[in-house]
Amino acid sequence: MKFALLLLGLWALDIGHRSLHAASPADLFRDGTTAYRSSDYSTAIKAFRQSANLQPASGTLQDLGLAEWHRGHAGAAILSWEQSLWLEPFNTAARGNLRYARKVAQLEGPELTWYEVVSTWLPANWWAWIAGISFWSTVAMVMLPGILRQPKAAWHQAVAALGLTVFLLSIPAHVGVHTRARIGFVQQKDTPLRLTPTGEAQFVTRLAAGEPARLERQRGNYVLIRTSRSAGWVERDQFALICLRP
Amino acid sequence: MFPWSFLPGVLILTAPAQPTSVPPQQDPLMSLMLSQPKVEITTNVTAVASFDPPVVSPGEQTIYRVTFNALEETIDWPKKLNAPSELQTEPGAHGQIIPMLGAVQVPYTSFNTRVRASTTGDFTMPEFKVQAYGSEVTVPAAELKVISTPPSPPSPILHLAIEFAETNLFVGQPTRVRAILPGSAGVFSQGLPPVQFTGQGVLVDQAASSQMVTVTSHDGMNMPSYTFQTVLTPIEAGNLSVFAQCFTGNRFTGSLVITGPAMIPAPPPPFTLLESAPVSLTVRPLPKEGVLPGFTGGIGIFRLEPPKLGTNELVVGEPVKLAVAVRCDANVARLVSPNPPRAREWQILDSTPGGGITQSTPTDTVSTFQYTLVPLTDEIRETPAIPFSYFDPVRGNYVDLTIPPVPVTVHAGEIPADFSTLVKTNGAFRDEDEPVLSGLAASSGWTGTLLPLQTSPWFPVVQVIPAGAFLGLWIWDRRRRYFEQHPDVLLRRRARRALHREWPALRRAARDKDAPRFAGAAVSAMRVACAPHYPAEPRALVGSDIVQVLGSNGQSEVVRRFFTVSDAAHFAATRTDTSGLLTLQPELEKVLQQLESRL
Repeated sequence: MKFALLLLGLWALDIGHRSLHAASPADLFRDGTTAYRSSDYSTAIKAFRQSANLQPASGTLQDLGLAEWHRGHAGAAILSWEQSLWLEPFNTAARGNLRYARKVAQLEGPELTWYEVVSTWLPANWWAWIAGISFWSTVAMVMLPGILRQPKAAWHQAVAALGLTVFLLSIPAHVGVHTRARIGFVQQKDTPLRLTPTGEAQFVTRLAAGEPARLERQRGNYVLIRTSRSAGWVERDQFALICLRP
Repeated sequence: MFPWSFLPGVLILTAPAQPTSVPPQQDPLMSLMLSQPKVEITTNVTAVASFDPPVVSPGEQTIYRVTFNALEETIDWPKKLNAPSELQTEPGAHGQIIPMLGAVQVPYTSFNTRVRASTTGDFTMPEFKVQAYGSEVTVPAAELKVISTPPSPPSPILHLAIEFAETNLFVGQPTRVRAILPGSAGVFSQGLPPVQFTGQGVLVDQAASSQMVTVTSHDGMNMPSYTFQTVLTPIEAGNLSVFAQCFTGNRFTGSLVITGPAMIPAPPPPFTLLESAPVSLTVRPLPKEGVLPGFTGGIGIFRLEPPKLGTNELVVGEPVKLAVAVRCDANVARLVSPNPPRAREWQILDSTPGGGITQSTPTDTVSTFQYTLVPLTDEIRETPAIPFSYFDPVRGNYVDLTIPPVPVTVHAGEIPADFSTLVKTNGAFRDEDEPVLSGLAASSGWTGTLLPLQTSPWFPVVQVIPAGAFLGLWIWDRRRRYFEQHPDVLLRRRARRALHREWPALRRAARDKDAPRFAGAAVSAMRVACAPHYPAEPRALVGSDIVQVLGSNGQSEVVRRFFTVSDAAHFAATRTDTSGLLTLQPELEKVLQQLESRL
């Protein structure tokens, strides 16, 4: 009986390990790459998306955008490349792809304020760590010499001043990250921009896939967005934010 | 007199011109149309149906051919024929020719159907009607005999064969294709259309076609064969099916035996639509990855000849021609020239934007690109490199074949006004690269979260940790500094703590009825409780010190008794009387409480 239970346990462990292994982001990334190379873009999209859901990564999102682009989904491709840049602003390939897509589709990028531009210099989440580390470094340099019964040296004050400066400089970038998190992209071609959040609403205009907009608020199945030209309501599944999971 | 003699002539010259009857000029296009022979479309349309060959074995393919003397566009041919169930039918070639017969052109249209019989027997394709020129035309019945061993035909059957140089191709890769009709040197009439290649997703370059009659060996016999070859380019990925079709001209069919003088009238021309067996092409798309700059669709093995510049001594503002010959072993009918790069120092124009000038030789094809270069500054030392690349179908990758720069010497000169603007424009665009789609990322790259950290619930919690640590440090430091300034507070606190530790030992001794231990614990407790008042080491205190702290509250006897017993236990040679000591526990606890209250 014990032997049978042991075998059962080992079998369950093996099955669990296999399922875990099959669903790992690295395996899914590899599957997506293979499918992409054989021009099976639908399978590639599925694999890359699952991988990005499990572990958002710059390269995965870049490849997801390529597969979406080859399937003719300009909105999803632009969103993926923007997300790739959100994670890694130094990804020149994703930046080039965005330029290419916007040139081909005749689209504009989102209009950014100066503090949003500052926030694009580094990965969005780096600013939070920079602010935290610089602030607590300043606090430490102010407090610790007294606690440790050490005379305040010049370098203590220099580090404190530097930390405070970095902290203060990171505040605009923080605000930029916060406001950029409200930027999204139209996902479907010829998405109607409605005057009111109802199915029978009058169309203000139609938006192209990949057009940037800022989320203002939500109501039911509709979201109020503001583009560079106008504002209006679109259905929730026709618009996706940068900072949401793919 | 003299001037008047000219008057009639002057009057004649000045008089208005009389209207003359000039014959109207005929429109040359109309004249051309009228000069064309008439197309015969008024006679009764008839249909001829037959199987070719009429006798086959089971499973062998035969062609059910129906020929009309009408234009193809006017015939409403059914999509499916009502054939016997034993016959499997598949639509084949169809086409039309309009040959000259006498003074008129007569259209002939044929519809082929590939037929295979599953069993032996005599089968009849029944008579049916189709629409031609808006009226019904009866297609007569046709007989097919299927026997296990059909007799060999009296004359060789014309069989059209198709040969591809390659059948595994990439989209856009040209390949040479040949259609061969053995023993048919005399069957083609002048003016008949050449062989057609039919199939979805292919492009046939008629400009690259050629035809010849060669002697080929078939079944051990050398016979002349008509060969038509051209270049075919797949434009769609997947498995493509291609077959050849052509019309034959005048010929006699069957054997002809003439005995004695006779005159044979010429039979109507049996323009027969032949078709080959379909050939399947496997076409793959070009890989998206690794596309190099300057790729214009060239697929094959290319070689670059040294670029030829009109002259190496240039003057600013004066154009010069650059010719580049590209040799290819593939049958490239047209090779698009690469876009010249945008350079600040040059104005470059592509003289052959539609494609290089192509010349075919027996061994390869040569395309020549021509560019017109205008130097805009005398600081130039060489022409710009022009990116060019091709796809190698054998290795399956893109190969760089950039046109190399050519050394030049540029002399100063006047820049035309138009080019001055160009210099500024080129400068403005110098650093702007043309965006291209990247390849796949080799690895998943940087990982992270798409949600901003500030919005994550754990992030504030993480910030609480250093805040708590620093707050704790601060409180500890303040407490430490307070105790440094008020050491008596610390002594009293320690004494109180020590007294609390002594109390359990005291009670344990009382419970065990161990009077000496009880007395020792009581003395120790009193010393600990009184030590901060002097301050002194607790073991250095004596009973009077305790009594002094207690003051005159009547408990001095109890204190002395305990100290006496304790001192005797330590220093006396005889045993001390400890009877009744345990009964003093309530008084002792009262003393200790008094001492604790003073701490």
